[in-house]
Amino acid sequence: MEGSRMEPKKKLIDAAGNRLDGRKWDELRPIRLEVGTVKNADGSAYIEWGKNKIMVAVYGPKEVHPKHQVLPDRALLRARYHMAPFSVDDRKNPAPSRREIEISKVTREALVPAVIVEDYPRTAIEVWIEVLQSDGGSRVAGITAASLALADAGINMRDLVVGCSCGIVDGQVVSDLDDTEDKEGQGDMPVAIMPNLNQVTLLQVDGIYSREQFQKAFELAIAKGREIYAMQREALAKKYFGGEAMTVQAEEEVSE
Amino acid sequence: MIERKQVIPGDVITRGDFQWGSYIEKRGDEFIALRVGLAEVGREGVKLNPLSGPYLPHPEDQVIGKVVDINGFGWVVDINSSFDGFLPASFVFGREFSPSTHDLTTKFGVGDIIGARIESSERSRDPQLSIRGHGFGKIDRGEIVKISPTKVPRLIGRRGSMINLISERTGCDVKVGQNGVVVVSGPPEAVGRAVNVIKMVEEAAHSADLMGRVDQYLGGVEDGA
Amino acid sequence: MSMKKNYVVETIRKTQMLELLASGQRLDGRTPEQHRPITLKVGVIQKANGSASVTLGNSEVLAGVKVATGTPFPDTPDKGLLVVNAEILPLSSPYAEPGPPSEDAIELARVVDRGIRESEMVDLTKLCLIPGKTVYTVFVDVNVMNVDGNLFDAMSYAVVAALRSAKMKKFIVKDDKVEATDEMVPIPVEKIPVSVTLARIGESLVVDPNAEEEGAMDMRITITTDDEGNVCASQKGEAAGITPEHVLQAADTSIMVGKEIRKTIIEATK
Repeated sequence: MEGSRMEPKKKLIDAAGNRLDGRKWDELRPIRLEVGTVKNADGSAYIEWGKNKIMVAVYGPKEVHPKHQVLPDRALLRARYHMAPFSVDDRKNPAPSRREIEISKVTREALVPAVIVEDYPRTAIEVWIEVLQSDGGSRVAGITAASLALADAGINMRDLVVGCSCGIVDGQVVSDLDDTEDKEGQGDMPVAIMPNLNQVTLLQVDGIYSREQFQKAFELAIAKGREIYAMQREALAKKYFGGEAMTVQAEEEVSE
Repeated sequence: MIERKQVIPGDVITRGDFQWGSYIEKRGDEFIALRVGLAEVGREGVKLNPLSGPYLPHPEDQVIGKVVDINGFGWVVDINSSFDGFLPASFVFGREFSPSTHDLTTKFGVGDIIGARIESSERSRDPQLSIRGHGFGKIDRGEIVKISPTKVPRLIGRRGSMINLISERTGCDVKVGQNGVVVVSGPPEAVGRAVNVIKMVEEAAHSADLMGRVDQYLGGVEDGA
Repeated sequence: MSMKKNYVVETIRKTQMLELLASGQRLDGRTPEQHRPITLKVGVIQKANGSASVTLGNSEVLAGVKVATGTPFPDTPDKGLLVVNAEILPLSSPYAEPGPPSEDAIELARVVDRGIRESEMVDLTKLCLIPGKTVYTVFVDVNVMNVDGNLFDAMSYAVVAALRSAKMKKFIVKDDKVEATDEMVPIPVEKIPVSVTLARIGESLVVDPNAEEEGAMDMRITITTDDEGNVCASQKGEAAGITPEHVLQAADTSIMVGKEIRKTIIEATK
């Protein structure tokens, strides 16, 4: 599919450097994050990012079924990235496609490094990502919300995971590709990081990049990820600390 | 001085040389939070009180569970944890227990709520429960309230101060399981007040003067009555 | 140990439930004929031709309509296709699992589909473009987002609202060929079927059972009625019998409660 990418019919970036939706090359689409959105779940989060609308729920740690999948020394983390039939332009069959199966795998591998799976041996931690409406960058949006849902479930984590996709549009490096830029641009690079540990946990690249463009797009994805990380913090603070910015207080210690 | 800080996973709570508790990882001289919660740095070291998370059973914990299944040798009890607890029939009928002579359903049926103690909890098997001791066994009346297990210490309070205040002011009997299951019994309107205040404690667990808020809530209602 | 547990209602709760029902009350304060609060939002998914998010108490579903063109079924060459499908997402409950639709999800979709189809809500003959060759195909997919009982009614309201609010691209026939236009038209919707589900707990019938009540029920009956108060679809569920008197009582209740819910749907899809 990537091979058949056509030369852009229309310019995606105008002479003034504005993209089709008015953004500059390094701007993000609007993002809205909310924690605690599925009542039955142990942890949950919802993300709107551009036209993406994605719900994530976490269940567990719970008993593993089937039993032969039990890991004796750590938790089995399951992740499923799934698209609703009405989430795309042409109805999608609800059965998981090869694309969804691959995204589920890289999503799991992007999240596991942040989760202290050794603290929950013999259990399963399930991460269900449901794309209700899809736009460019749905996998990084799913990962960003999933890490909030895991934190909401109170699973021990070394760090959050946050993602952003960058790429090449009209020969230029740009951040956060939307649907059209993803389809008609020349390259897409989804990246997820653990911002405090400074580790990359997801990296996929398609398109052709010069060595310089590769570095520029990669570093831009990390920088933008850090901006989104600030929004993740706010979303958690809103649920857990009553909307106030996170505080530090000091008081006299009372001896018992 | 004691320093309190709101943290999320990955945050550096402090640097230096301290003792540290659960939900904290030491990386070099940094103490990293592993949960959303309230961190405290004081003379006793670095501590993190998480605001969400699963219940992990420890021996001697007192829990409130629901019988979900019965097999020939005991009761399977949902204790709001990764694994169901198991209450062996021999712990209830004694050493002379025999599956052919004893009918387990005469003691507890599916759906029954029981107060139990975690007898043992090993990584390789499901937690074992016991009902030996005062106050354990079937709970046959009351309103069930579920709160996050991480907020149970706040609901109990320092040496039981919070829970005692709630029971004294409302006149209700409040049983609290460390697994986050609470059963309140008493006159209906009193139960309603107790349930509301328990929910308030859960929601405001992060606030500094929780005791004051509860005191005011229960006092205020009384004045108005 | 046991396989994935099903929801078990606490004995204390069940006892309280039965005591209250004896005096016509329910644990959550409702009367036996009262449904939970309904919220209905349409147009929530812009990429769908129509969509609706419904909450019925804590049960939550999201329906999306997708319209395309395709070949009609051989036995109905002059009718468009309408397919209603349900996914009980694993994110919606600790008891739901991923994988192909379960027996429950298939029953759910078929019961809702029956209500829509048999009420003749959508005039399928108006969805025919070239008889025997090309017709509009209308897919209504429903995602269950949170389970707290009575998915039948929640899903039915979502499907009806999504169809009522949908806009589809108009196609025209030119020289025996189908051509798309830029015009957006509504789906030919004629009626508003309303599904009302009752559960039997002890000797009482209650409308719109929540998960706890479903855990205590031994029989369930869904009756769908149309604008004129006709019964157009029904399904009795669970492995217990129902007396003929109860069936008729359920029909009367469904007609009565259905009228009120129909107003809510009209209001939300104006």
